[in-house]
Order: sequence, then structure tokens, then C-alpha cells
Amino acid sequence: MFRLVLLVCLAALHFLPAAAQDQPYLPYYSRDTAQVYQLAVAHRNAIKDHLVVPKTGSSEYRDHYRKIVKETSDEVFNSIRYSALLDPTVEPYVQQVFRRILAANPQLPATAKLVLSRNPQPNAHAVGTSTVMLNIGLLPRLENESQLAFILCHELAHVACRHMQTSMQEHLLAVHSKEMKREYRRILNSEYNISSQIKALALGFSLNSNYHHRRYERQADSLGYVLLSRTSYDASQAYRALELLDTIDQPETAGPLPLSAYFNCAEFPRTFAAAENKPKSIFTVKAAEKTVLETTDTLKSHPDCAKRMRFVRTLARDQVAAGPQAASTPEFARIRHISRLEVIQSWFDYDCYDHALFDALLLLPQQPQNSYLRSVVLLSLYELQQHLQGHTYNEVVSTISPRNSAPFNDLLRVLYDLRHDEFKGLSACFAQANEPGQADEYALAARYAAMALAAEPATAASLKAQLQKQYAGGRFEKLLFPVPPTKAGAARH
Amino acid sequence: MLFTKRAALAALFTLSAAAGFAQSKTLDGIQNMHRSALSPIYAGNEVKGYLMFAHGDKADRKNDNYLLDFYDQDLGKVSNITIQKPANRFTLLNNSFNGSAFAFYFLNSKEGTLEMETYDTSLKKLGSKVIEDLSKADKMVLQGQLQGNTGDAAVMGGAMHLFPVPGQGFVRNSYTGMMKGFALVMYDDNMKPKWRFASDEKSKFYESIGLTEATDKYILAMKMRRDGAMSRQMTSSMVAIDATTGKKVMDMPVETSKTEQLSLSSFTFDASKREFVAVGEYYRLDDKPFVNKSLGFYIKRFNEAGKLVGTKNYGWQKEVMSLMPAEARPSLEDNYVNYTHSIVKGSNGKLYIVAEQFKIVGDGLGIALTVLGGRGASVSKGKVANMFVFELDPEAKLSSVKFYPKNVTNATLPAGTGFMSAGLLGSIMKSQGDFDYQFMQRDDANTQFNVVYINFDKEKGEDAKLYIGNIAFGDNGKYAFDKIDMTTGANYSYLYPAKPGYVMLAGFNKKKSQLGMKLVKLNI
Repeated sequence: MFRLVLLVCLAALHFLPAAAQDQPYLPYYSRDTAQVYQLAVAHRNAIKDHLVVPKTGSSEYRDHYRKIVKETSDEVFNSIRYSALLDPTVEPYVQQVFRRILAANPQLPATAKLVLSRNPQPNAHAVGTSTVMLNIGLLPRLENESQLAFILCHELAHVACRHMQTSMQEHLLAVHSKEMKREYRRILNSEYNISSQIKALALGFSLNSNYHHRRYERQADSLGYVLLSRTSYDASQAYRALELLDTIDQPETAGPLPLSAYFNCAEFPRTFAAAENKPKSIFTVKAAEKTVLETTDTLKSHPDCAKRMRFVRTLARDQVAAGPQAASTPEFARIRHISRLEVIQSWFDYDCYDHALFDALLLLPQQPQNSYLRSVVLLSLYELQQHLQGHTYNEVVSTISPRNSAPFNDLLRVLYDLRHDEFKGLSACFAQANEPGQADEYALAARYAAMALAAEPATAASLKAQLQKQYAGGRFEKLLFPVPPTKAGAARH
Repeated sequence: MLFTKRAALAALFTLSAAAGFAQSKTLDGIQNMHRSALSPIYAGNEVKGYLMFAHGDKADRKNDNYLLDFYDQDLGKVSNITIQKPANRFTLLNNSFNGSAFAFYFLNSKEGTLEMETYDTSLKKLGSKVIEDLSKADKMVLQGQLQGNTGDAAVMGGAMHLFPVPGQGFVRNSYTGMMKGFALVMYDDNMKPKWRFASDEKSKFYESIGLTEATDKYILAMKMRRDGAMSRQMTSSMVAIDATTGKKVMDMPVETSKTEQLSLSSFTFDASKREFVAVGEYYRLDDKPFVNKSLGFYIKRFNEAGKLVGTKNYGWQKEVMSLMPAEARPSLEDNYVNYTHSIVKGSNGKLYIVAEQFKIVGDGLGIALTVLGGRGASVSKGKVANMFVFELDPEAKLSSVKFYPKNVTNATLPAGTGFMSAGLLGSIMKSQGDFDYQFMQRDDANTQFNVVYINFDKEKGEDAKLYIGNIAFGDNGKYAFDKIDMTTGANYSYLYPAKPGYVMLAGFNKKKSQLGMKLVKLNI
């Protein structure tokens, strides 16, 4: 009998991870921020320890150096404190890739550390002296682990080449150079047109700085490729990674969002195709004002991807992977899937409800049964309506811009066109066909949001009580049920 | 001012500008900010952009750089123009857009001249004109204008404007003698004069004129006539001028009825019926305005030949009272009268009249000072109260009266104004900016309107807790009210018109030398 029980228990233990994997993924959330705080402090201290204010140079130079160290360490601290993602799945995965690169390249500084950020923007960057920040937003846009490895190698190359420190020193030397001081004094003494002269001086300084940055990027691509080549990853994927970066600002799925399918029903007949285009400007000025830094490729801090691709192709002697790659491993596919949902949650958590709504609606046709996505749609509608009611809509809805993808701009037009009372109809139509589940915090919060939008106070109150009881101190408590401020600032007119 | 979680994200993560800052703009390095530094640019009914006029650094020994920064209706920067003009002595009076050209009207205090410059829509300069022969009255008016007199009514006090006329150009108004007469000059987009319309120099009357509307054919105006410079007896006239030729089409007094005393609040053109529409209030012939209450408001309609084709009175005690909400009645019995701010016709054929209550009360201290021989002391104070929207159906039947209660705000009136007529006092209060009403916004299709005013929360006091009240109405038949907190954390907050469905709030933070602007979507 005992043996039988033991066998059953062992079997249960064996199947438990598989069962857990079958559970729909919900974004990571932890009330405990101590670990993130300690991580942030450690990175801040590392920068302060590393960047010691020199004893030589003018007092101005040293003060400026001190200021930059403080700003940099604070920036790193804040980035980590408010964005580090220490989830049990994606973070260990990317750390393992990072370790593999370090192991294959022992000459890299041992102090180099990777931090996974909840930043939904598809990007990565090296900060401070040895910290590589990888945005969660980048992961869904990559096709395989080798591409991820190249991105990390590129950032590690910046660390290895001490680009951040060199950049800072060059900046300080330039600012405090005799030539710069002489020019600055000359401008101040000239008495007339000081503003335009200072602008020209600053622009020249920026251009020079960007020239150096571009040089660093080329070095990072070059060394990054070498670092990748020393690992067991497929180095030909470096080229493909740059190809993907070239189109990273466009959504993965082309075509308009099926808004009518989600938000049009018998109770709320509404056509979304009729959302008006942006009113025509009365100005016929040739182009919106752009700084020189935005206008020509030669002046950007990063060279265009096409140029970088050509460079990498040369390094790889034409042994490059180009075009869409074969399906990634199941493990990487799962990381991409989880990252997509984490990206949506990040948009939501940072009050970017337009982005959260857009990404959720973009993903729903592929995962129509995903209760989390349905919940995000309803919660985003609720938050948008709350901000409209509180006259802070402008703070949570982006401007229609040529920088956005066309489908996102279409959604923005719809959002700007919406009236306060229309959110009720949108929510009702969506919930009819996309009822969120009932098993988790997100679904319960979404049901509360739907009832609040439907002006069903009794049901909403009941759901609120349920949510507060079941998920006290949970993800949505402060957002959905904020405690009103006790003191309001006075305004002067 | 504009710190949000989203903005914090942008700062931390270097989000793209489009994602980080939505329909808002923060400008650094602003040393000082006055409301008039920023002005909306209208094309027809709708706000299509903003102009910021700023005083820059020194250009040379005698001149400074002045900056004209242009923003679109979403606060996106379009372009800028830098001009070199006399140091510290150059002011933008107003900007206007007539659909094909922008006109900027400057006062050059050093030379004692007015300067006009026009630009096409690509901001290429089209023409300019310097006006040197300013009359004493012009200078008086300009002085008042620099002190903040809005001159909306352009009747008492007045203001110098460039009035945009679509397809024609711009009309410049001026005053002759010691406010004895007026002159209007039409300039084309290149600042070439086209016609002149002026009061009769031989006339024994004193006349002033305020332009109210430019239609496809006419320029409409309200003219005030007095017997002499010190006369308080005024008559109002409705004037229509042919926009192409400058010939007078209509000039008709309204306050000369044999049976009742009339005040003129508004003179507009109903393009669908091709009729001129006059709206005002009526009194018994022997009544004294503000001592006796007005009997109601009237609408008179005239065809293009100037012939009266319809007149209708709406008595407070008859037509209006039956539709008046109970909560509005006490204020009517408290001697409040209405000032009509705007009259608009919806595409549904309905006419909407927006009015705000005001009354004059004796100021004890002012009376005492006057009795004791004090000069310049006011004997009257104005009080501004609630808002009304009167809705008339396409058959001109009063179909609805909407009442929006407000807390009473106070106004100080110039000496001697207590003896003036109702319409005139309203005009003075309007030109002084005493009303809570700020502006009305409408879309080009005339399907949606909203009236914006500023009031305060009673428990917080008149200066502490300002809010923006918004009344929206239109073709959907619904009236919506929205209340927006003006608390921004800035030292100074300003409210401006914006594209349909929005208002624009600007806040100046002196310590940070920062100006924040944001569009606020209205709940309508």
C-alpha cells in the first residue's frame, strides 16, 4: 500500500511541471520589491565605485564629472528599480544566454551584468560601466536565440570597449576644453544674437558627439560579431538580427485591426471605418520641423541598419542568414509568447492603454481563447474612459504621428473620436463575444471594469468586494480603487 | 505640470516622442508668460493652430529678435519666423487667418506706428504695411488694448483689429478725432488697400463700429451712435457692408421702437435663409434699465434688402417662464438680466442663444467718494451669475431653456456707467473681460457646439479653486455638462480655445521657466 501511494505521489510530481506549463500564462507580478531594490542599489554602487572623480583637472571639470556620475548612477538605479523584471521564466532564460556568451569569451569583464527590463520598446542598451539592459519588448521580435545572442554580444562589446566611459570623458574634455570656453565667452561677449549662436555651438557639439557614437556602434558591431563567433550560436544570424531591427517599428501583423468584429453589435451599432482622418492642416510648410539630427543618416547616433547590415555581411564574408528564419525551438517560442504578454502588461502598467489595447487586439485573432488578452482589452477600455472622464485623456493616448504604424494610427483616430458614453457600448459588444474567464485576478478585474462601464453599480460593487478580498494588495488594487488624495494643491489663475 | 507615469516611462526608457508625450508640449527657457503671448489661429469656426509671440535676444544695437512660433491644432510644431524689430517696443496686437493668408498686426511703440504683415500658408511673406497717421483716439484705444482690454465688443473702449474676410483679405478698423468717427479699410492678402468705409465726417453724431461676422458676401457690424462726446444716450444700428465693394447694404437702428426700448446684443447672418438676425432684450419705453427688469428678449429677421421679415418677442413671464427650470427663477426675480454672448444656428435648423446673467449694484464706497467729490471712483459694481442656453426650433418657437448655475463673480465698472443702457453696460463688461464666459466653439458643419466658462468652487473661494465649465449641445439633441479642474500646479494657468471637442490649457511654471500646454478632451 505504501509503495502504491509513493508511486502515485511520484507520478503526480512528474506530471506537475507539464500541467503547470499547460496553464495559460499570466504576467509576472510580485508585491515584494526588495530584490529589485537591492539589484538597483548594487548597480548604482558599482558605477560610483568604478567612476572615481579624478584628482586632476579644474574644479569645474571635477564638479561636472561628479554630476555626470550621479546622473548616470541615478539613471541606472531608476531604470532597474522601476523596470527590472525578475520573473521565474524569461529572466533565467536570458541570463543563461548571457552566461554562455561570457563563458565563451573569458576576456570580457567579469563585472558585466544583464538586467531584463519591462520596457516594452524593442531595444537593448548598455548603461553605466557594465550593465546591459535588455528590453522585454525586443524578445517577441526575434526569431531565435542566436539573434538574441548577437544583440547581447553587441552590447557587451560596448562594455568591453569602455564606450560609456570614453564617451563621458570625451564629452567632458570637449566641454571644458580651452577652445570651447573661448568660443562660449566670445558668444557671450558678442552681445547680439546670442541665442542663435549658442544653438549653433550646441548643434556642432552634438554633431561631433554623434560622430563618435557612430564610430562606437561600428566597433560594437564588429566586436559583437567576433564575440558571437566564439560561441556555439549561429553567427550568420547577426545579419538577420539587423534585418529585423530595420523593420522593428512596424507591427508584426500587417493590416487593419478588426475593430468592427470586436466592438460592433446590435446594441451598439458603430462603424469604425468612418473614423475621420486627421484634419488637414492649414499650413503648407514643406515638412514638420526636424532637428538636423533627425534629418540625415550621417548625423544620427546609430548608422542606418542597411549600412550596419552591409558591414556585418563583409565581416561574415557573405555567410549570412537573410529573410525569415525557420521556426524557433519550442523553448524560444514559449519565451516569445510569454514576452508578448509581458509587453502588453508593461504598456498597461505604464498607463499606455492605447498601446496595451492595440497589442492585445493584434494578438487576439491568433489566440482567441486567451482570457488574459480579453481582460486587457476590457481593462484598457475602462482606464481610457476613466482618463477621459478625468480630463487626462491626453496623457494616455498617443498623438497620431507618421512615426507610428498605420494600424496604430487608425486605432488612435478611433480613440480620439470616441465620446465618453460610447465606452459602455464598446465594452458591452466586446464582452458579449469575449467574456473574460473567472479564474484569475485579471479576469475578475476585467469583469469589474466591464460592469463599471456598463453602469451596473451593484454588480460592480460586488465584484470590487470580491477582488479586494481574493486579491488584497494585488496588481489592480491601487489602479482600480485609488484612495483619493487628502490635500489638493492650490491653483492660481 | 505634465508629469505622468507615462512621461516617467518616456524619461526612463527614452520612448519616442510620439509615444511619450501626447497632445501636449513643454517649452523650456520661457522667462515670462502673458496670456496674449499665445493665441489660437482660426480657419472658419475651428481652431487650426496656435501662434506664440516671444521676445528673444538682442539682434543689433537698436533691434531685438522677436519669434513667431507656429503650432498645429495638435500642438505639433510647424515652423517659426524670426523678425528684427525695435528693442522692447514691439507688440503683437492680434493674428488672423482668412483661409489663404495669415495677418499679424503689430504695434511699434518706438515709431508710434502700426505694422501689418501677411504670410501665405507656407509662411512665405506676402506683404506688409505701416500705418503712421494714428489719431489720438487710436492711441487711446491702443493704450487700453495693451492693458488687457479685449475689445470684443469693439464699442466702448474698442480695440484695433485685423478682421479676416475669407476670399477678400483683412479689414483694419481705426478711430477718427477724439472717438468722433470710425474708418474701415479692406486690404487684400498682399496688403494692398481695396476699399474704405468710414463714418460721415460732417455728421453731428459720434459713431463707433464693431465688426461681428464675415459671410460669403457681407461684413456685419454693430454701430453705436451718440449725440455728443459726453452723451450717455446711445442708439445701436445693424450694419451690413458688401465685402467686395465696401458699399453699405444696410444701416438700421434697433433701439428706436415707438412702443419699447430695445438693446442689441447680437447681429448675425443666417446663411441658409439668407436673412440678417438681430437679438437683444426689450424694455418698456419709460423703464430704466437695471432699475426695471427687461421684459424679455427679441429676435428680428431682415432680408438681404434690409426689409423686416419677422419679429418675435419672448417674454420672461410668458414664453420663457413656462420653460424655465424652477432653480433659475429666483435669479430672474433678483433683477439679473442677460448678456447674449453668442447665437448660433445648428445644421438641424435650431437656433441656440447663449446668455449669461449680470446686474449692476450700487457700490457704497464709490457713492460716498463721488458725493465727497472724489473723482474716478465707481459708483457701480457688476455681478455676474448663471448661464442660459435658449433653444429655438426651426419655426422660431422657444423649445427649451437650459440653466447652468454658477457662483456669483464680481466686476468693477468705470465711473458713470450705472446710467447706461443694458446693452451698453453688457458691452462694457464684455470688453473688460468681466464675464465668466470665455468662448464658444463649434465645428465647421455646425453640428456640435460647446460653451466654455471659468468659475470657482464656492467652498474654496474665488481665487483658489477655479474650474472650467463646459456646456455642449448640438445635432444629437443632448445637452452635456462637463467640469474640468484648472489646478495644474503651475504659477499661472491659461485657457484657450482648441479644435472641436477639446480645450487647451497652458500652465507657466516660473521657477522652472517652463510653459506646459496640453489639449484636454471634453466629455461631450
